[in-house]
Amino acid sequence: MIKGMTLYYVSRIIITAIFAALLYFTGMLLWQVLLVGGVILALFLWAPHSGRYAIHPEFGITALRRDERSQSINDQAARIAFIVSMLFSGGILVSLGLMGVTSIPIALVMLVPAVGALSYFISDLWFRRSQQ
Amino acid sequence: MDLHNQVKAIRLQRSLTQEALANVLGVTRQTIISIEKEKFVPSVKLALELAKALEVPMEKLFWLDERRGE
Repeated sequence: MIKGMTLYYVSRIIITAIFAALLYFTGMLLWQVLLVGGVILALFLWAPHSGRYAIHPEFGITALRRDERSQSINDQAARIAFIVSMLFSGGILVSLGLMGVTSIPIALVMLVPAVGALSYFISDLWFRRSQQ
Repeated sequence: MDLHNQVKAIRLQRSLTQEALANVLGVTRQTIISIEKEKFVPSVKLALELAKALEVPMEKLFWLDERRGE
């Protein structure tokens, strides 16, 4: 725990509780809710120590800010994720077209954001490692 | 033309840790590490803030190619 960050920690506990309640009311089992809530809270607690954010306790609940290096890395990662997603979507369309499939399976379409998110996180990690 | 700097040397002269300098500038320690290793080129604003924090003229802290700051 970092001194002067009480507002940040309290706000993240509240956000986690609200999210957990939403999951519970959508029918998720209690142990699953507790597990997901625990992981989210752990990520919130880890964030100030991750080195990804500049810490400004004076800003209260928004105490964690991206500095210009983090912002630049995020921008590069977002661009790569966008390009990968577009290429992946195009690849699906062309492949299905060549196979003569006229309807696109929804499961394949749902893979597009997953591939985009994955490439975003991998790029982000790679840029952080390579710029140190 | 490549941008070089002597942030590390001047920071050590001032007996400042990377953490302390990062706190003064409101950036992460990783950003200071990247700048010192010349893997990240800071914005003009951050470079000016660095020069101010280290109490040196900008041209002594940063220079292009082989020209070393005096």
